[in-house]
Amino acid sequence: MSATIRWRRATLYVQVLVLTACSIEAPAADARSYRGTVLAEPVPRIDFTLTDTRGERFSFREQTDSSLTLLFFGYTHCPDVCPVHMANLAAVLERFPYDVRSRVKVVFVTTDPQRDTPERIRSWLDGFAPSFIGLHAPLDEVNRIQQQLRLPVAGAGQTRPDGAYDVGHAASILAFPPAGPARVAYPFGTRQADWQHDLPLLLRAR
Amino acid sequence: MSSLQWWCSAQNVAWSWSWRAYPGVWLFMMVLVSLFVSLLQHSRRLGVGPAIRQRRTWAGWLGLLLVWVALDWPVGALGGGYLASLHMTQFLLLAMIAPPLILLGLPAEAMRDLAPEGALGNVLRRLTHPGMALVAFNVMMFATHLPVVSDALMPSQLGSFVVDALWLGGGLLYWWPIVGPGVPRTHFTAPLRIGYLFVTMMFMTAPGAMITFAELPLFATYELAPRIGQISALGDQRLAGLLMKIGGAVITWIGISIIFYHWQVEENRLLQRDLAKVRRVEG
Repeated sequence: MSATIRWRRATLYVQVLVLTACSIEAPAADARSYRGTVLAEPVPRIDFTLTDTRGERFSFREQTDSSLTLLFFGYTHCPDVCPVHMANLAAVLERFPYDVRSRVKVVFVTTDPQRDTPERIRSWLDGFAPSFIGLHAPLDEVNRIQQQLRLPVAGAGQTRPDGAYDVGHAASILAFPPAGPARVAYPFGTRQADWQHDLPLLLRAR
Repeated sequence: MSSLQWWCSAQNVAWSWSWRAYPGVWLFMMVLVSLFVSLLQHSRRLGVGPAIRQRRTWAGWLGLLLVWVALDWPVGALGGGYLASLHMTQFLLLAMIAPPLILLGLPAEAMRDLAPEGALGNVLRRLTHPGMALVAFNVMMFATHLPVVSDALMPSQLGSFVVDALWLGGGLLYWWPIVGPGVPRTHFTAPLRIGYLFVTMMFMTAPGAMITFAELPLFATYELAPRIGQISALGDQRLAGLLMKIGGAVITWIGISIIFYHWQVEENRLLQRDLAKVRRVEG
């Protein structure tokens, strides 16, 4: 066997070993691995620009494309679903090391722009995690984005005598892996153990 | 606003400090109070002195009051579906604090007079045997604190009622050999009673530690409940675990201290009696 052939065979072994090692280190999660609800069709990472809580324009695709992005539409006066989702996400993210946490972006879009001022959204999100991003826009625009994401549109319910009202909205969080479409959604009822299980898989997903 | 509930259970609606009625709790309390009053009246008919009755009765009324506090709004409602720590408070009240007080308040003469004979009497005697009561109580305690059982029962009113009834029933069974009215304690001596309480305290350590040191919330009912105040689901769960461990230990040590005190008083009385006998013989 010539030295060239031996060299080529050796490099081939090395390549196989490297590829095998890579596949062991980062296996692609198949649909059955997730504890969230796997969507029948992936939801594309659409582009939209809204205003964040600092009053600056926030381009969703541009500013989240390299991160695992958890997108949720809700409102700060929500009595149940929104605070539970946010609290559970914040509690689980806190458990991961910084290098993992820093690759996850939680984006909250208000479905109640009438009451949710940027200051109120910021203050509410800071109660969970200061890193959470809050966005607001007129409800028509928010609903147009939700339709594009195949989510039900939001709408205010009847106003009670004290002036308060509830807002019907999608209860699921869409998970967009880095540079990819959303393949998994997390409905209300998703527990911290489910997030802890799925976040590493979502970070590795393509 | 959700519809009328007959028993406190997890409803997954935001907590409100507006008072709510739970007719099932009132009915349950009316049954308990009626039974207690009937026993007191029967005791009076048997001619037991008012001084003896009054001394015991206050404990029974206090026990019933604590049962009502544990079951009705707000403790019952908060423990039923919002805070694991309040759920554990309910457990301590229903299974560890109220039962010995109720049993102390029961008139022994009336209980003896009304004690069922035959097969039912045999079943009750076996159920209240210390060995059986110890096993039954600890199995009930473990089972009702398993997340899968708790999460299956607490969202329904019937399930929540079953948990509360098991706690109260299990508590009465557990404390019967210790403070049950007219229970002869010739075989179940003070050291055995102290050991009986101590064993349960040790058993309580396991679920208490599991709940306290879990890294994630264990109970879906409380993890997904609308939050109250600033306490997190995990913080609330840890508080529940500590309440079980520390609260259970404090109650048990109070029980052990009382048994020890009475034991020493009795031993001292017997010693004095024997000394008096010796003095009489020597004199």
